[in-house]
Amino acid sequence: MALGFALIYNTTRIFHVAHGIAYTGAAYICYDLLINCGWNLPLAIGVALIGAALFGVMVELFIYAPLDRKKASTLVALLASLGLYVAGVNTLALIFGNETQILQPNIQATHKFAGIILTQIQVAQIATAVIILPLFVLFLKYSTIGKIIRAVRDNPQLSRVLGTNPQRVRTVVFVLGSLLAGGAAILSALDVGIDPNSGLPALLVAVVALIIGGLGTFDGPIWGAFLLGILQSLVVWKFEARWTDAITFGVLILFLLFRPQGIFGKRGRVEESTT
Amino acid sequence: MNYVWHIGVMIGLYVLLASSLNLVVGYTGLMSLCHAAFYGIGAYTTTLLMMNTGWNFFPALAAGVLVSILLSLVIGIPSLRLRGDYFVLATLGFQVIVFSILYNWTDFTKGSYGIPGIPAPQLGTLNIETPMQYFWFCWAFVVIGLALLGLMAHSPFGRTLKAVRDDEIAAGALGKNIPVLKILAFVIAAAFAAIPGGLFAGYMRFIDPTSFTIMESIFILSIVVIGGAGNLIGPILGAVFLVVLPEALRFLHIPDDAAASLRQIIYGLMLVALMLFRPQGIKGDYKFE
Repeated sequence: MALGFALIYNTTRIFHVAHGIAYTGAAYICYDLLINCGWNLPLAIGVALIGAALFGVMVELFIYAPLDRKKASTLVALLASLGLYVAGVNTLALIFGNETQILQPNIQATHKFAGIILTQIQVAQIATAVIILPLFVLFLKYSTIGKIIRAVRDNPQLSRVLGTNPQRVRTVVFVLGSLLAGGAAILSALDVGIDPNSGLPALLVAVVALIIGGLGTFDGPIWGAFLLGILQSLVVWKFEARWTDAITFGVLILFLLFRPQGIFGKRGRVEESTT
Repeated sequence: MNYVWHIGVMIGLYVLLASSLNLVVGYTGLMSLCHAAFYGIGAYTTTLLMMNTGWNFFPALAAGVLVSILLSLVIGIPSLRLRGDYFVLATLGFQVIVFSILYNWTDFTKGSYGIPGIPAPQLGTLNIETPMQYFWFCWAFVVIGLALLGLMAHSPFGRTLKAVRDDEIAAGALGKNIPVLKILAFVIAAAFAAIPGGLFAGYMRFIDPTSFTIMESIFILSIVVIGGAGNLIGPILGAVFLVVLPEALRFLHIPDDAAASLRQIIYGLMLVALMLFRPQGIKGDYKFE
């Protein structure tokens, strides 16, 4: 989730709140196909991911791209994105109801590793994290598309001069980002279920991870997410689960104030280097 | 008839909330997503003082305003150094923290159970209880608040804020102290947001943290943006429109929970459409650019 948002934010400078809808939307599509239509799991996941990617592209093409052409600021895009998020959440609530929906009704098989008990889904989550994320980072670092994305991120004007089509790159970025969000959503939904409002908290935690890890890089968010995960578990373990939110966002504010470039980010005032 | 008075009270509360946020968003050009936090701080401070120490409504409300001012200084001074998205993010973090405290500090705020049985405000010996009485009571605050905000907007202070909004560097070059101006705007807005908080508590006689979530902050921001930021009429129009809209849906015989969703879908989509086609809102002279 953090990586998907980072990808979009770094490249387009849009604070893509509606990313939360790609997240919940994908989980709901998966839920609907799986439970109500009785599809098998891989097929449902596939369609849900395509749905998430499509959503991302539509948002880019019909909302952000026109705004960008009018040279609107990123704050306008943020407002539009907020509006879209509110509308999206409530559309989902209208269709599926406000309750948490469970994707896996059965009690899951568990695996034991060196004394740690994990459910099947949790194993899948870890496996995905370990396999997909490094692959993704490698892809961004070494493939041509990845290089172009980073070029646009660093200097959109210059890359335009050199013959890339920023619009195409942005679309690709939205596809990739939304795919990551959808994937994260399905994995989490299979574990703990999904409700319409879970998109924003997931997004916000991702943003915190992003700030901790450092903007402007693609591996920063991963480390940020990792550290934040550890911090949150520590809070649950040593303190009380109910204070995780307060502490997570306290950390966010501390980072914003004292180290806005994050742990691994480049030096310099980030908000100025972005314009 | 009570129903109409009730809507009148709600409009009044949101007019005050939106108009105060307008000082930050419309006049100073800063996007803040923690207005509901100050609203909640006002409501909780007023309530807790009235319930625990037996204070009268007015001193309790004043204390609420004071707490709101102090907290807005705490969050405002550091975060106003940040720009654009980062400032939004900092206010958002503050909003989540305040909600989390209201929700989880159960010994103090009773958490998700909420606080029932808040005494009604007293004017002399008169209890202000019925919606009609409360309407006049509430609108007295609204009118005074709007007058103060209006005076401020047309004073040199208001014009300087607009200058900061339109060109921060130029305003700074003319010798305006930009950090102080921004903090003043932020703090004044927070102070005014605490008032509808206290009024809400005294009217509903019951508060719980779910009235002061991030969605509420987004809603207040939408009122300002949809109505039109940067002038006095815009937020009033926005508040009337967005409070009356769901009541209109009620007459279409849509079930209540569907109507709530539908209302939010409508204002969400309106926000998107306005950003695309009319960034200055219904009546506004400031475009977000």
